[in-house]
Formats: sequence, C-alpha cells, structure tokens
Amino acid sequence: MTTIQAALSGILLGGLYALMAAGVSVTWGVLRIINLAHFGMILLGAYLTFELATAWRVNPLVTLVVSVPAMFVLGGALQWAFDYLRVSELNSLLITFGLLIVVVQSVSNVWSADFQRMAAEVNPYATESVRVGRFVFPVPTLLAFAIALLVILGAHLVLRRTFIGRALRAYAEDRPIAAAFGIDHRRIGVLLAAVTGATAAVAGMLFSLANALTPATAFEWFGTVFAVVILGGIGHLVGTLAAGVLVGLLSSVVSVVLSPATAPFVLFSAIVLALILRPQGLFTVGATR
Amino acid sequence: MTRRFAIGFPLVVAVLACLSLYRVTLGFPLFYLALLTLMLFWVTQATSWNILSGYSGYFSFGQAAYVGIGAYSTAVLFGRHGVNFYVTILVAAGLSAVLALAVGAIAFRLRSLRGEIFALLTLAVPFILAALARINSSIDGGQGIIVSVPPFPAGLGLFQDFLYLLNLLVAAVAVLVAYLMRKSRFGWALAGVRDAEDVAEGLGVPTFRYKMLALLASAVIGGVGGSLFALQIGFVAVDSIFHLTVPLFVIVMSVLGGRTHWLGPVVGVVLVVLLQDRLTASGLGEWQLIVLGAVLVLLVLLAPEGVYARLRARPLVALVTAAVVAAAVWLPGEPLDAILVGLLAATAVALLPLRAAPPAPVVAEPAEQAAPAPVAPPAEPVGVGEVLVECRNVARYFGGVRALEDVSLTVREGEIVGLVGPNGSGKTTLVGLLSGSLRPTRGSIHVAGNDLAKLPPHRVAHAGVARTYQIPRPFTSMTVRDNVAMAIMFGRSPRSLATARRDAAGPLDVVGLGHLADAYPDKLNLHQRQLLEIARALAADPKVLLLDEALAGLNPAEIDNAVEVIRRVHRSGVSIVIVEHLLRVVNQLATRIVVLDRGTRLADGDPREVLTDPAVVRAYLGKRAHA
Amino acid sequence: MRKNTIVAAAAALLLLAAAACESKSPSEDAGAASAASGDPIVVGSTLSLSGAFAATGAIHKIAGELFVERLNASGGLLGRPVRWVVRDDESDQAKVSTLYEQLISQDKVDLIIGPYATPNILSAMAVAARHRYTMPQHTAVIAPLLTYECQFPAWSIGPTPNEFVPTQLFEATASLPSPPKRIAILTNQNGSTDFVSYGSGDNKTGAVSITKQNGLDLVLEVRYPPTTTDWAPIAARVRDAKPDLVINNGLGVDPVNLLQAMAQLNYKPPMMFSLFPAPGPPLGLGAASEGLLSVSIFEPNKPTLDKLGGDATTIVNDFKARAAAAKLPYTVFETQAASSWNAWEILVAGVKAAGGTDQAKMCDALHASGADTTFSGHLAFDPAQNNFWPTTQTIKQIQNGDWVTVWPADRAAATLRGPA
Repeated sequence: MTTIQAALSGILLGGLYALMAAGVSVTWGVLRIINLAHFGMILLGAYLTFELATAWRVNPLVTLVVSVPAMFVLGGALQWAFDYLRVSELNSLLITFGLLIVVVQSVSNVWSADFQRMAAEVNPYATESVRVGRFVFPVPTLLAFAIALLVILGAHLVLRRTFIGRALRAYAEDRPIAAAFGIDHRRIGVLLAAVTGATAAVAGMLFSLANALTPATAFEWFGTVFAVVILGGIGHLVGTLAAGVLVGLLSSVVSVVLSPATAPFVLFSAIVLALILRPQGLFTVGATR
Repeated sequence: MTRRFAIGFPLVVAVLACLSLYRVTLGFPLFYLALLTLMLFWVTQATSWNILSGYSGYFSFGQAAYVGIGAYSTAVLFGRHGVNFYVTILVAAGLSAVLALAVGAIAFRLRSLRGEIFALLTLAVPFILAALARINSSIDGGQGIIVSVPPFPAGLGLFQDFLYLLNLLVAAVAVLVAYLMRKSRFGWALAGVRDAEDVAEGLGVPTFRYKMLALLASAVIGGVGGSLFALQIGFVAVDSIFHLTVPLFVIVMSVLGGRTHWLGPVVGVVLVVLLQDRLTASGLGEWQLIVLGAVLVLLVLLAPEGVYARLRARPLVALVTAAVVAAAVWLPGEPLDAILVGLLAATAVALLPLRAAPPAPVVAEPAEQAAPAPVAPPAEPVGVGEVLVECRNVARYFGGVRALEDVSLTVREGEIVGLVGPNGSGKTTLVGLLSGSLRPTRGSIHVAGNDLAKLPPHRVAHAGVARTYQIPRPFTSMTVRDNVAMAIMFGRSPRSLATARRDAAGPLDVVGLGHLADAYPDKLNLHQRQLLEIARALAADPKVLLLDEALAGLNPAEIDNAVEVIRRVHRSGVSIVIVEHLLRVVNQLATRIVVLDRGTRLADGDPREVLTDPAVVRAYLGKRAHA
Repeated sequence: MRKNTIVAAAAALLLLAAAACESKSPSEDAGAASAASGDPIVVGSTLSLSGAFAATGAIHKIAGELFVERLNASGGLLGRPVRWVVRDDESDQAKVSTLYEQLISQDKVDLIIGPYATPNILSAMAVAARHRYTMPQHTAVIAPLLTYECQFPAWSIGPTPNEFVPTQLFEATASLPSPPKRIAILTNQNGSTDFVSYGSGDNKTGAVSITKQNGLDLVLEVRYPPTTTDWAPIAARVRDAKPDLVINNGLGVDPVNLLQAMAQLNYKPPMMFSLFPAPGPPLGLGAASEGLLSVSIFEPNKPTLDKLGGDATTIVNDFKARAAAAKLPYTVFETQAASSWNAWEILVAGVKAAGGTDQAKMCDALHASGADTTFSGHLAFDPAQNNFWPTTQTIKQIQNGDWVTVWPADRAAATLRGPA
C-alpha cells in the first residue's frame, strides 16, 4: 500500500523533473548549448509566479500570462546572443554558469534570500489532492505531470510531424547539410530556445505551487535534472519524460522500501550503470541523437 | 625542462616560501598568507583537474570527489581516531588513486565513450560518495568532525604558516607534475588524445595507459589537496565538501586561465580568487556575485582559449601595463587592489585586438611542384615477396548490418593493392579492421605474423600498419612538423621529441610539405592536409600503408602530384592498400585489385583482368550508374 | 569584427570592476557615530548573505545593524562609536576561515562575532582560537563540538541538547489529558538535527533512546538527507504508522514540506514537533500547520513583552520595520533575532567588564561575571560545559496562525493544545 502510494506520487513528481530537464536536454542535443542558465530561468519563472500571484491575488496558473512570454523572449534572446557570438559547446557551459550566478544573486537582491512561499489563500493547490479509490494524487504534482505530458508529447509531435520539426532534426544531425537545404538555423535555433524558455516558466510556476523558494534552490536542481537528461538520452524528448518518471519512481520506492538516505545512492549508481550499458540513453532506439 | 623553468620555478617557490619563513622580518601580513593559502588550494585543485581534463579533453565534473575523499580521510582518521596526520595524507592519496583506477577502468574501457558521457559519469561520483557517507553515518558520527591542529615543527611559526607551507609544497608539486607532463611524451600523447583520440591510438600512442596515468595523477594531487583542505576549514561534514562549487570553480578557473598550458590554471586561480576577495572586501555586498558572473561571461567570450594564452602572446605589453597600473594604484591604496587592477589591466590590454595581423606562414609552392608531374607508366610488378597481411574469412557486423562477410585477402611485400567497390561495399570497414580500430566479428587477421585480435590498435601500429583518413584528421593544436613527429615519437622504437622533430623532415620531404613544417593544419588546403595524412602515416615506419580515399576531392593536377607521392612511398619499400573511387588512378598504381561488393569479395587479381570482369563491371558500374 | 564591438565594452567593464573594488562603499559600515565620538571600535564578522544559509543570514544582518545603531545612539561602547564590518561568506566554510583571518590580521578589527550556521561557526571558531579572540556566536548549539574556551554561545540548550529537547517535549506532552504514546521520529541528517535524535560520539542519548526509555512506542524512524526533494514517501510511511506524535528533528522548510505532503494524502498527524524550522513558511500553510510545535528562546507574545518592558517592545517593532523594508517574508523578531541580540549583548558585556578590548580579559570577565541580556536574562557561562549556560529554551506552538510560547508553564503565553 505505502509503496504503491509512494510510487504513484513519485511518478507524478517525475513529470516536474522531466519538464525541467526537457529544456536542458533539447538545447544541449540540438543547439549544442549546455544551458545552465535554464535553471536560472526556472527560478525566475517560479519567483514571477510567486510575486504576481501574491501581488494581484490571482490564481498562480494565471501568472503564466506574464511569465511565459517573458521567458520566451529571454530564452530566444540568449540563443540569439550565443549564435551571434558563436559560442562553443564547452564555453556555453561556462558562460551560462556565469549567467546563472548573476540571476541567482539578482533574485536574492530583489526577493531576499529568505524562504518565499505563496500563502494558502492564493495558492489553494499546495495541500489539495484527488482521491481515487484507496490512493490519492496530490494536485500540484498531478498538474505538473499533466502539463509535462502535454508539453513534451506536444513538442515531440511538432518535431516529428511538422516542417519546422524536421528542419530542427536535420539541423541537429548535420548543420552544413541542413544549411544547404535552405534551413535558416538561426531563426530556428532562436525559436527553439525561446520555447524552452517558455517551458522553464511553466516548470517554475509548477515548482512554486508546492515549494518554498530560495535563490539557492537553483543549484539544488542540478543533480536530479542532469540525471534525467542523461537517462533520457540527450536531446530526446520522450526519453526525457520516461526518465523523469523513472527517476521519480525509483527515488520514491527506494525511500519507502529502504530509506531516503539510500535514494540518491541508488539513483546515481543507476545513472553510472546506464551510462556504461546504454550511453545513448535508456529509451532511445538505435542511433545516437 | 628548459633552463628558464629550471631556474624560475624553484626561485618562485623559494620566494613564496620565504614569505612565510621570514614573515616577521619582512613584515608580511598574516592575512596575505591566508589568502595565498586559499589560492594554493585552488591551484592544486585546478591543476589536478587540468592534468586530465585540460590536457586530454576529457571534462570531469567530479573534482569534489577527490576533495571529499581527501578531507574525509583526514577528518575521520586524524580528527576522530587520532591517526598521525601525515599518514592520513597518504591514505587520502591512496583512496583517491583507488577511486581513479575504478572510474578509469570502467570509463576508458568503454568503446562507446564520448567526452560528454565521461563528464556525466564523473558528475555522478561525488553524489554517490556523499550518499554513502550519509547512509553509513558511523563514518563521521553524523555530526561532522572537528579537525584540530596537528603537531608541526615549532620553527615554522604559526599554524597559518604551517598550513601555507604545506599547501605551497603540494601546489608546487602539482604544478611541477603538470609542467613535466606537458613537456614530455605524456603531454604530447594527451594532446593527441584531445585532438583526435583514435588517430593517436592508430599512430602507436597507447592512449589507455596515458589516460589512466593522467587520471591517477589528477586524483592523487586532488586527494592530497583535499586532505589539507580539512585542516583549513577545521570542521568537515558531508555538506561542506561534496557540493558543486568545487568542480564548477575548478573548471571556471582552469578554462579562464587556459587549459592547454600548465600555467593556465594558476593564472585563472589568481584572477578569480583575487577578484572574489577584493569584491568581498569592497563592500559591494549584494553586487559582488553579479560582477563576478559578468566578468566570467565576458572573459570566456573574449578569450575562449584562456587569458594566459593572450598574455603570453604579448608578454612585454602585458607586463609593463600590469607594473605601471599596479604601481599607480599601490602608492595611495591597498596592495591587493593594486595587484588585481594591474592584472585586470594587463588582461584588458592583452584582449585588445592585434593591430597588425600576424604574418601568414610562407606558403610558397616549391619549384618542383610547378612542373606537372610526368605521367609515369603503371607501376612495375615488383617481385612478389613475403606475405604481410593475411585476412581469413573475416566478417564484421554492426548490430544487424553485415558490413563484411567472409572476406579473405592477402597482401605481400612490395604490392600496391587497389581496394575498390561501390559505396557501402565495406571498404572502409576493411581498412578499420586492418588497422585494428575495429575487431572482426569472425575470422582472423594476421599482420607480419601478429594476430590482430590480440593487439590493441596502438600495437597494431607498432606491428607495421599505418592508415590515413578519408577526411583528414590532423592534430589541430600541433604544427605540421609535430603532427609527423608524433608518429615517430610513439612509433615502434620510441624517440625523444627532439629526435622526432628532426626526423620528421624525412616524411615531409617525401610528400613535399617541408616548406609548411611550421604551419598549423588549419592553414593547409585539402590536398596539403591529405599529404600530411600520408606523411604522418609514413612517419610511423609502416610495412603496410592503408590509404582511405586519399585523393578524394582533389583537382587533376593535385591528383597527379598525389599519385607521384604514393609511388615514391612505394619505392621506399612500403606495401600499400589503396581504397579509391577513381579507377584511372587505381589502374595506374595498383599491382593487384580487390573488388568488394555488399560486404563480399567479388574479384581479386591483375588490374586489367579484374576491371574487364563482367561481374565487376555490372556490380560496380551498375551501381555507379544508379548513384 | 563583432569581437571589436564588445572588446571595448569589455575592457571598460573590467576596469570598472577594478575601480569598484577600490572604492569602499560606506553602505556596509552600519551605524555611523552620532552620539558617541572618538575612534570607532570595529567589530568584524561574516554572515551567509548568499548561498545555502542566506535565508537566515539576512535576519542576523538586520538584527546586528539595529543593535549597533541603538548602541551608538546611546553613547557607544566605552564612549566610542562602534562600527560593524560584515562580509558575505557565501555559505562557504573556506571563505569563512579566510575572511576571519583577514578581519583579524589584516583589518585588525577590535572585536569579532560569530557567523551564521553551525559549520561556519566551527570554521570561524578555529581561526578565533588561533588568534585567541573572544567570540560570541549566535546559533551553534552542539555543545560537545564547541571546545574553544573563549567561545560564548548566545543560544543555549544546555550542555546536552540531545537530552534536553526530547525530555522537555515529553514533559510538555505529558501534561495533556491523553499524552501521545506512539511516536514517529523523522531526522534530517544535518549535524545539529541528527545530534538531537541520535547523540554524538559515545553518548548515544537522543530523541530515539529517550522515547524508548520513557516506555513509548517508537512506531517509525526515518533519516533523510538534507537534499531530500520528494516528501511523499516519508509522508505515506508516517500516515501508515499512525503515530500520536511526529518528532521532526529537521531544519528550514522540512516541516512545511512534510505537513504539505501529508495534507495531500488527506492526513494530518495528531501532533507534530519540528526542531529548527524557518518560522515563517509553516504559518503560510494555514490549517495544515495549526498546532505544530517547535523550540524557541524568545517569542514576542504580548505577555512576554509586557514582562520584559518597553525596550524589548521597541526593539521588536524596529526590527519588524527593517525586516519589512528588506523584503523579508517573515518579519517577527523571534529565536534567530533574539540569539543575535544576545550575542551582541555578550560582546558588549565582555568589553564593559574588561574595560577595553583586550581579548583575554574579556574572556576571563565573561567567565567570571557572565552577561545580562534583554531577552534571555542573565547568562552565567559554565567553562566546564564549553560555556553553555542553563537553558531558557521553551516550546512554542502555532495557535490560530501564530507562534506562541506554551511550555514551561511559568514562561508560557498560552496553554499547550493537544490534538484537535
């Protein structure tokens, strides 16, 4: 019973991990940018939701009206700059690390370093849940899972079915050839990065529903998010979703059956094993990327 | 070791040591020593990282693992159980070494290992170690461990002096190791790994061994540094060491300074630590991290190859600027401000674009090449010699794809074997098998009596096989001469760098690249790069040379020149297997032709007979016609 | 070409950064002399104003600034103004030790005061010990680790918090009509919290052993790492264990996350205690956190303030105004701020008793005559117990959406409430 309940909660939480990781995975896989600033954008998204929901006394979901366009523009602008300055994969890591430091400290200056949390009257979701039979599904993670499913599968379909999607995949696999076919990699790259920025805003909103915020939170996401990115296979959306669910499930079940202290050990050992046995990601078939 | 280093390095270390030993006499403030101690800690860690990741290009995110193991060894054994402090340093080194051997043995054995996989693998290691320490809380008792001051010789002065001198010793050894590695075969081998790993292996560089040694050296240095870190912070708990700050800052410092040079990390450390310290002291308070982040972004954008490389390009200007600006600030103000401002000014000056473009290397065509190469008659059938290469019933599958099936082939001394076939017929796979970079799924390959199945690729090179790549893959960080020297240095009988550089003239002359010896590969055109491939392969002193489409993309004049080069190579006594699309060339050069089609051998024999064989014409031309 | 455009800007920025380093902005120097005159007495310290500990570091900064300002307004210290130099240690122990070294041997500060969070305090203590500086510190309570004889704690849970805290809690709950019998203990594997559950070194006494010793049922025992993000599994185990009382020896927002995860399971434990929570966030949970217990050395409840007099009320109100201006979400002057205040008062008492800033004299004087504090009364430091003084720690409870002191009875502002 306990184990199944924990497993269910873990799977739902995995949706949030997947949504956070999807942006990192795609920019890395397709644009060759290891974007640590993505964590900064999630943080900004979370604080924007907190600020607007608190100031306007509106439902946190409504704040997406502001935060999604803001992060869309920010993500696109960053990619435009990376492209303009011809930043390499390695240097992107360092530059975005610098940007992340700037974002975290700026957030701290604006909102203080102390825990910020939406009050219960603004955010009714924090303690709500949906009961199905003997099991309960917490609303914040249920919402996160549903949105992650929607966003990731939607993006996956776009990538598979539309011209832009095919262009992006061509671009990821062979830039010169894609260019030769008249694909304007710049506009596509900026568009893609802008969309990942928007997903960061959504992930930030979902995170703020169930958690107290501090600026240092951004660094605490590193381990789990990179675990999901790796397990899912860099650049693979559906793999990322599956990996998010797997990571959530694994750490929940280990927490219940063994102990919470064992969970990170099992999780990261699993990652090492996965890297050794299936370096292209757990859920990818055949070729890399 | 250059003389400048042999004198300069001990001198710098001695001066630094004197700052502590004669601190009172010199009136050197204790705080500077504390700041220097912090810098030395980072110098040790950044250098440790650089030895592996900077030199070989395998990025590690796991530096916290070494710091953690080191700090925990000392904290647990010395702080909790009272074991002699100096013994715990050795334990730290030993445990780090064990961890490195385990990680390396797993990671570097992976055939599919890519740089990013290694990076992610190392990212996971500190998390696992931290979790282990938490699961088994009897290791640290659950509360963390106080590390008191160990006994040290009274003559050294205060504890801060002792800590400083210990860190100085370790950092000096680290930098010395980094220097010696960079300047020896070690550094060249790792640079080869960074530029093109399988090419280096194919030229005879035992890359696994060098990577393992680099990983080991990196781990031991990092672990010992971590052990001293426990003394410095005085209290060790899981959270105080296993966090991402260490790996991220180590990378930032090394890359900012310049990761291909032994001194790069040192420059990066001085810059970052000093900048942080001055920002903290300046009362900028909440702005300090924002400034630090912005400076990091700017420096990476402006000097992606590292600040040190830029400083070194204009040593005088940088030095004078630093001295003048520093002196100007020093007089009224705080010396540390002066040093930082001087450094930043020098960096800024070094970053300004060069006014005059550097003189382009002389790329004058040698006179002999101006004349069109005489069209020589087909190579005379050299007397058939001993069997050099023998493939028996070789098959190679990639997953479900059967790239080669049941191919047998012999190459004898003095032959030029043309390997032809339509696209996808398995030619490049066969070259890969012969050079040892691929292993046959079935069947056996012997070269000069050696069974290739038992040899790693670099030993195959020593057995006498060298290859070129269809798309040239030079070592981009080395000059043309050093590209060739690499093959000599790591050849069958190892040579020193000096000898190898001298001997590189031979192969370069054979291909006619002598006049470009000091250019870097990115200045070469496609033809010249392909000639460099041949020169480099030749320098390995092969018995058999595998040329994989060495003429692809060349114009007719260049083809004639290349053909002449290949003949020259052949005349020097090297057997050749040439993969080529251009039947004219194969016809001209080959003493024998082997035709592959869809992974099987279709024909083998005299060029004229083979090329008129109806099956060959159908398979080859038929396919070509459709393509 | 594109490089040229940014190079100029970059060079300018680099020089700007350098220039910024030189000009010492006055903003950090809290409390310029107004009433006092002469050379200022300089107090040095670091606080975690960024990084993992920054949430609470901010409280100590505001409290310290307020204290120094009030001190200077009332004539300073020994007639001299006091200047506080506080640096950001970024929650990094290596920075703490370097910065304290710098403050002492470079800036030659007259006095030092401890940083925030136990690991940082221990790193600073090592430096203070080497220079024989007297160091009052706010919040490190693991008495056995604080071995430097001139370290003076401003928050004491006595020499053995691992015995005191659970014992006091069980005494309090024993006063209820139906005391809890089934106990669940959830422990954060941070040093300070793990200590209270499991003891330290050879002394294995703690919440776990005392629960058993009191003949209570230990129905669940969970240790979780400070990095825990997924609370649902722990919540589910608590629900299934059906405890009467959950003892969460946790930190920061742990109890909030736990209570929230339990609320999502439509479950609320009959009673819950949390050791060192951030005080604000649980109040935001509404009904889910009503009745939560924790420890406190001071809560500004009306009866308490009335007893202490006007000064205390002014301080509490001034702090609230400043905290609101600094955008802190929870502006109440409570345990953290009170311990900060205590530390400053210990420092002042040491200087006054020693008649100057001689560190050894201060240390001796504090040992001999203790210190008088606004919020914790007279502190008598016991050198045999690493200077930990007889504790005044109380138990507080969230009642009607606010923290109130409920135990022991003689200091309570309200009575302890059992399960609703």
